[in-house]
Formats: sequence, C-alpha cells, structure tokens
Amino acid sequence: MNNLSEKDVKHVADLARIYIKEEEIPKYMVNLQSLLNEVDKIKDIKGYDDEMLITPVNHETIPRKDEMKETLTFQEVSYLAPKVSGNYIEVPVMIHE
Amino acid sequence: MDTYKLTAGIEVHCELKSKTKMFSDSLNEYHSAPNCNINAIDLAYPGVLPSVNMYGIELALKAALLLNCQIQKRMYFDRKNYFYPDLPKGYQITQARTPIGTDGYVEIMVNDQKKRIRIHDIHIEEDTCKNTHLDTCSLLDFNRSGVPLIEIVTEPDIKSDEEAMLYLEKLRELLLYADISDCKIEEGSMRCDVNVSVSKTDILGIRTETKNVGSIRNVGLVIESEKERQISLLENGETIREETRRYDEKTNQTILMRVKETGNDYRYFPEPDIPPVTLEDTYIEAVKKSLPVMPDERRELYKRAGIQNVNIEKIIQNKMISDYLMDLNHINLVIASNLLLGDVSFYLNKHSKSLWDVAMSKENFESLVTLLDTSKMSSKQVKEILPEILEKNTDVNEILKRDGMTQVTDKTFIKQIVDIVLKENPDSVLEYQSGKDRASKYLMGQVMKQSKGKVNPAIANEILIDTLNRL
Amino acid sequence: MNNYLDLSILEIHNLLKEKKIKPLDLVMEAFERIEEKKELNVFITLCKEEAIKKAKELEEKDVDNILFGIPVAIKDNISTKDIRTTCASKMLENYIPLYNATVIDKINEKNMIIIGKTNMDEFAMGSTSRTSYFGPPLNAVDKTRIAGGSSGGSASAVAAHLIPISLGSDTGGSIRQPASYNGIVGMKPTYGSISRYGLVAFASSLDQIGPMSRNVYENALFLNTLIGKDEKDLTTTDRVEDFTRYIGEDIKGMKIGVPEYFMKEDVNPEIKNHVEKIISMLKEHGATVEYITIDYIENAVTLYQIIAMGEASSNLARFDGIRYGYASGDREDLDMFYKKTRAEGFGEEVKRRIMVGSYLLSGENAEIYYNKALSIRDDIKKSFEKAFANYDLIIGPTTTTTAYKLTDDLDNPIKAFLDDILVIPVNMAGLPGMSIPIGKDETNLPIGLHIIGNFFEEAIMYKLAAFIETELKKIGEGK
Repeated sequence: MNNLSEKDVKHVADLARIYIKEEEIPKYMVNLQSLLNEVDKIKDIKGYDDEMLITPVNHETIPRKDEMKETLTFQEVSYLAPKVSGNYIEVPVMIHE
Repeated sequence: MDTYKLTAGIEVHCELKSKTKMFSDSLNEYHSAPNCNINAIDLAYPGVLPSVNMYGIELALKAALLLNCQIQKRMYFDRKNYFYPDLPKGYQITQARTPIGTDGYVEIMVNDQKKRIRIHDIHIEEDTCKNTHLDTCSLLDFNRSGVPLIEIVTEPDIKSDEEAMLYLEKLRELLLYADISDCKIEEGSMRCDVNVSVSKTDILGIRTETKNVGSIRNVGLVIESEKERQISLLENGETIREETRRYDEKTNQTILMRVKETGNDYRYFPEPDIPPVTLEDTYIEAVKKSLPVMPDERRELYKRAGIQNVNIEKIIQNKMISDYLMDLNHINLVIASNLLLGDVSFYLNKHSKSLWDVAMSKENFESLVTLLDTSKMSSKQVKEILPEILEKNTDVNEILKRDGMTQVTDKTFIKQIVDIVLKENPDSVLEYQSGKDRASKYLMGQVMKQSKGKVNPAIANEILIDTLNRL
Repeated sequence: MNNYLDLSILEIHNLLKEKKIKPLDLVMEAFERIEEKKELNVFITLCKEEAIKKAKELEEKDVDNILFGIPVAIKDNISTKDIRTTCASKMLENYIPLYNATVIDKINEKNMIIIGKTNMDEFAMGSTSRTSYFGPPLNAVDKTRIAGGSSGGSASAVAAHLIPISLGSDTGGSIRQPASYNGIVGMKPTYGSISRYGLVAFASSLDQIGPMSRNVYENALFLNTLIGKDEKDLTTTDRVEDFTRYIGEDIKGMKIGVPEYFMKEDVNPEIKNHVEKIISMLKEHGATVEYITIDYIENAVTLYQIIAMGEASSNLARFDGIRYGYASGDREDLDMFYKKTRAEGFGEEVKRRIMVGSYLLSGENAEIYYNKALSIRDDIKKSFEKAFANYDLIIGPTTTTTAYKLTDDLDNPIKAFLDDILVIPVNMAGLPGMSIPIGKDETNLPIGLHIIGNFFEEAIMYKLAAFIETELKKIGEGK
C-alpha cells in the first residue's frame, strides 16, 4: 500500500465496524498511513523458508472428552447484557442490508 | 433451449450428534428453553479460549471416511471473521486450509447407472446462535452457539434435480446410519445451500447460490426453477449475476437476497489458540472399524434373505428396525421384518416408544419369529400376545404353556389341524358317520394332541363337528 | 504505621507463621499505602472489602505456603469473578466477570490476597500505560514520568512498595519494559507456561502472563505457582518445577551471548555503559560473554505490528455492545449500532490498531502481510535456536532509554512500538525473557538488563539474575 485514500480509510473503518466522522478522516489518513508504512517493510524481508509459525508451542492439541462441565444461567448472563428481552438478549435489526 | 446444460453443486451443513459443543463444554441441545445451555465460551466473554471436543473430531472423521475422502492427518483450525449478532466472537472457528477430508465421493444410482458425485471437502466448524427477527429488534438464543457442524461441499458434478435429490438422500442415509447427525432438515440440523449455473458450452456459467433450502424435495425444485430462470434471462440477452437467493415455497421461485460483493472479506487467518490436531493412523483405523454396516450393504443382505424390495426400502428408512434386524441371529428375516414393520411398529407408534425402550429381549423376539416360522404359532396368536411380550418380556414358550389352549382360536389354523386328524383317522370318521358319538370324542382328543393342547377346545369341537357333518 | 510491606516475602511469611502478624495487618497496610500514594493512579479497582474478608478468613487457616496471606495486585486484563475487569477501557468500564482466570484460581488456592486491579494501556495496547481510559499510572521513581506499559500499574505498584508482588501480561514487552522503567524484576515466561484462560486476548500467539516483583527470588517463587497445564488453554505445556532451584549457584563456565543489535547506537550510552559493566562483571566471575548476531531480530517490530494488530482486530471483534460492555444508545440500525458502540467504547490507539489489523488480514493482504510475518517469525525462532545451541543465555538492555516524560511523544503512533524494540523479538519466538534492575542513570532513573533464556529454561535465567542482583547489592547498585 503506497498512499491511503479517503476511501481506503472509510473502507478499513467499515471492515473494523468503527464509526468515524468525516472530520476525523484526515487524522486517520495520517496515522494509519504511518503504521502501514511500517508494516510494508515486511515485503523486503527474505526468509530462510516458507514455513509458518502459527503458535510458538511445539505440542499438539489434546482434545477433551465429550462431557458437560460449567454452564451459566440466563439470569447471570442477563446482568451483563446491555439489553435483554424475556429470556433473550436483544439486538437492533439490520435496516440496510 | 434444450442445449443448455445444468450444473449444480451443493453445500450441506450438518450438526453433529455430540453431547457437548465443538469448542466449549456446554450441552449440545438447543430445542429446550432459550439460553439455558450456555457458558462463558458460548457467549465469548473476554478472556475465554476454545477447547476441542474429541467426539466432534471422531464424528467428522467418520463422515470423511464414509465419503471416501483423503484424511488430513495434521489439522489446523482457522478463524473466519465477520460481524453478525449470531456470531458472538466476531469470528467462526472453521477449517479453511486443512479440512479433515478432501477429494471424496458419494455414489448414487441414476437410471440404474452408478454415478459419483465428487466431494471437494468436508470440514469442521461451529454453529451460530439462533437469531429471531422481530420488527424492531432481534432476539438471541445462544444455546446453538458453538454446536459442532460439518460442512460437506461437492464439486459441480450434479447435472439434474434428480441427481441432487439422490445425492442428498444418500448423504442423509450415510450420516444417519453412522449416527453422525440426525439430519433433520426441518429442524435445521441439516441445511442445504445450492449453487446452480447453466451453460451451452463446457465452460461453467455464472452461478447463483440459494441458501438454506428447507427439504430435499425443495432442493430439486430450486434447481429446476433456477435453471428456468437463468435460461430465460440468457435467452432475453441478459446476464446472470453472482448472487445469493432464497427459495419461496409458495411461489416455487427463488428470490434475490443480495448481490455478492466482490469476494466476501472474511479475513481468514490461522487460529492461534488451537495447536494442530494430529490424527494417528491407528486412530483412523479404529474409527473406520467402528463404523456400522451401511445401508447399501444392508440392502444386499436383506435381498439375500429374500425380503421384498418394497420392504427393504421401508426397513432402510427406519434405522431403528434396520439396526434391530442387524442384531438378530439365525432366524427368518422375512418373518422378522414383517413382524417389525407390521405389528411391532403399530404397537410402538401407538405408545410412542422405540425398540430400545421396550422390555422385549432379542432372544425372546427370536423365539417368537421361530415359532411363527415353524407354524407353531399363528400370526393371529402373535398379535394377541405381542403387547405382553413387548411390555413384560414374558418368555413366549412360557406363554404357550401357560395359556396355549385358550390362545389358539384361529379358525383356519384349527381347520388345518382338524383336516389332518380326519385324514389320519379314516376308521373313526366312518364310525362317526355310522352314528357312533364316541368316535367324535376320540377325534377331538386327536386334534388336541396334534395341536399340543394349544387350540381352543370349544372352537375346535365346533369345527370338527362341522367338518365331519360336511363330509 | 507498620512497615511489614517493606520486608521480603520470606520475612513476612515467618512473621505470619509465628503469629506475630495477621494477614489483615498486611492488607490494612497495603490500603494505607495505596491511599497515601493515590496520585500514582496505579489501581483501577480496589477490592478492599473482599480483601479484608479474605484476610479474616485466613486467620482460621494454617500458614501452609510461603505465599499465604501475601497481598497481590492483578493487571486489569485478567478476569476476576465478581471483581470489575476493565482492560482500562470505557468498553468494559462496568464489566464484572462471571468467571475467574485460571491464574486467579491458582492465586486463590495459595491463599494470596487480591488487593486490586492495576492500571494499564487500554487492552494492553501501548508502551506507556497512557492509553488507559482511567488516566495514566505514574512511574514510582519519578512521578513526572511514564510507568511504561502496558503493565505500568503492576510495575509501579510493586516499585512503590504498595504490594510485594503483582501479575502483568506481556505481548511485546509489556512486563519487562515497565519493570525496567520502575526498577523491578519482571518475567515473561516461555509461551505456554502460564494459562491464558481469562487473560483478555490482545494477540493470542504472543500474550503471556508473568510475575512482577521486587527481587529475583520472589519472582521465581511466584512463577512456581502460576505455571502448568490447563485444560482450558490448549497452548499450555505440562510443567512442574521449582524455579528457585539454581538461585545462589555461581556462574562460572556459563556461556552468554550479547546480540550486537541490542547494543547498537540507538541505545542510550548510559544504558549501554551499565550493560557493559555487567558484562565485565560476569566475565570476572568466569562466564564467557560474546557478541553474537541473531538473524531477523531487527525485523521483529515489523512482524510484531502485523501479527499483533492482525490478531487484535479479530480478538476485539467480540466487543459489540450485545452481550456485555459498553453499548451505544443509537439502536436504530444494527450496523450503526456496531460502529457507534465501537467508536465510542474504544480509545484512539485501540481503534487505530483494529483498523490496521483488519486491513492487514483483508483479501490478499493476509498472504502479503500476515502469512509472510508468520513465515519470518518462524525464521526468528530458528535463528534464536541456533544461538541457543552455543549459548546458555542471551543478554542486553531491556530498553533503549529510561522512562521518559509523561508528555513526550504523545501523538506518535510508531513510538509505542519502538519503545519495545529490544523486548519484542522474545515474543516472536515464544522464548522466556526477563528484566532486572542493574542501576540508575544520572537522573536517578532505573536501568534494566534483559535476560533471554532458551525455551523452558527460566530457572537458569533466575540463576544469572540472582547472581547479578547479589553482586550489585555488594557494590550498592541495582536498587
């Protein structure tokens, strides 16, 4: 990425589901650009090989048994949820698909 | 118009029959009250991490084996990132790069010809939570959040609605018989997305995807209606757009949901919270060995046992009966299956019970079949004693001894015995005809002896006298 | 006022055992000290009531282990049941978890007493703790300066003797760098040693919890209780060991490497000077110390930026105002609700990193940036492994400068990463790394020595650290 456009900033904010006001765009253009210039350095690095390190651990996953353990009640959960309706958590609807 | 070739591919999501969820240890059960089988992981509370359900892996492996797939022996998981309220973490754990199975196939019979529908891949993932849309808001039930899923993706090998339905029937049969999923499309434990395109050449046309089709029959209807819609668009000089559609049963048409964006941006990346899962060869072998006899093999078996085709299909459709039959030894399977499909099923349906929760033992059932097979008991008699056997598992031979006399009231059966007795005792018949009453008593005794005391004497006597008088 | 909290944990333990003091004495003293040094702003939440209750309960119990009754502070990104856990964010300002992190269960098992939750950078993103929604914690040595970050509160609280010991978390130096800035001991153990279950994820493949303490022995002691396999964290390793076991042994014959990169010109000369003095000291005592090169460590910051921001963009997607946390009042449309919730709930640094992280994973970028970073990351690990084939330990300075002014470099989005340039390579490889104080600069600000060990060799690091600590005490430095 060479130069971040206004459109790019909006797109990235959209991807991240973060609302940005029009007047904030210039600030983000500068800040995001400086970070992107940094990460772009990756392109010039030549590695030993293509092997990827996904997790630093060398061991394998040990799957668990198919047994039930802890559960929560909806009452506990409802204290934390910003909006509850009956035994459900409520969310706004999507207006624009 | 006839020159258009149809091509379809199907993506099937099936929920696995595990006790707990794929990446958390709450119950895999979402038909009960809302938000009761939930834990911190299902709600993606800050700081929680996934665990991996061993049984979920096993079921997925079984499916991959049944679909003749290459097995991925070192599996990683990936994150598929998107925002939607039914996805609490904001990402779904799935297998994008290393699906558990690849390059498999399912064999179907099309017009008496074998055809392979190739399987691109089968991968493990987790279900979303249930989202009920109201006018002004949506309601979330997290019971389904994290339920284990397998997604089975075909190659574009399906050339007709019939093939699609045959493929799905076959797939369903396999998953049901291996106890991998209960495959209830209506309840959402099996979901089908259908990709359809048409083309006049060998180059595939632009495809549309119809999501979440509600039954196997509807998958056929979707393919037909999409085919027609696409052909008429092309004939009118229009182009097909890559879009997501849904099927409307009332109008038998697919309806546009959204035009696909240029490649959904799911921001896949390897799931760092789950180190690789290795499937050892010995484990794969053991799972393979644990697979039950599958329907096609069972069909062969039933055919060899002389069961009629109509009944074979009835049995296959009723896995409980099929499994029960598989466990029976050295008995007449035709009689056993008739009994199970008939009187036993009637009783079970009436009492909403399954073969696994009645008292009757297999051995007792086998004795019953043998008695029928050797004509030692009439079907009418069986019908009468069946409830007792099912409920109390009373030994059938005991029943015979206990109330055998009064039990045999089947007139045809008794008539057969009378006829035999009369044939064997021509002298006594003559005596009777000459007016000697004693002779009829002797003959009656022979009838009882011949029937080992099972027949109802009053009825037997009536039939005997009647028969004698008609001679 | 008593001064029990200036004593070592062993001394406190003996007093408790001899019934000369009660756990409540320690708790009351801690809260007095916290009150006295309120302006340090090191705590976001204090658990006074719970702590007093616990202390009283402990009066009935046997003093059965050395950490019994010891007050402890917990970084506020570690989930504590019934105790608010904010991650220093408006997003979680009122979030009270329903479950304990595995480390909290372990701390409770030892009957330690949780005093409060410490201030930090919002969601651990930063190197100064200035991104905290609750205002920055201050450096314990100089209140005009940063405490470092992101575990700034945990470091400053220990350095100010408010509590003897604390927990931090380290994604790219967040334990070691503030430890260095505040003149305390901070250990980031081998990735997978301590369960991350309940640590609010920033970058899952880098995050690791670790102990922060006033001296090496106490750090090792605390680590003993924190490690081990946890069924709830698939990346944990099965290990049980006593990390104090080599403490006190001499270092003759030890082979130590100093990466040239760690001593390059950007490092403040005074810091370099102090590290060189340590090198001479180690040589005098029979250790071999050699300059070495480790491939790719100069690229670590770039990799870190990509991996940490990429993973963070995914890990922080769950903060959507639906199940917990801040929710925007604008509930008309789902999409706007998401965007407003996240715009209003997250601070600037976090938003920036999530946006860049989303970008780095989107479409083909995942291949160009993220996967490439993972591939070079594997190479860093390999080059460290090469170095550890010849050396027991690697050392260098922890930071390029000492703690700077609270008002310096406020608007530089890159600065936060450059502060951690020397400590980040360790997280890339998953190796253990620790910082110990080795003296002060001419303005009296602490300087830290960074010790890197091979995988699972924390015990050897503690051996060297304790040796240096003892030697410095003899000549009156290090504190």
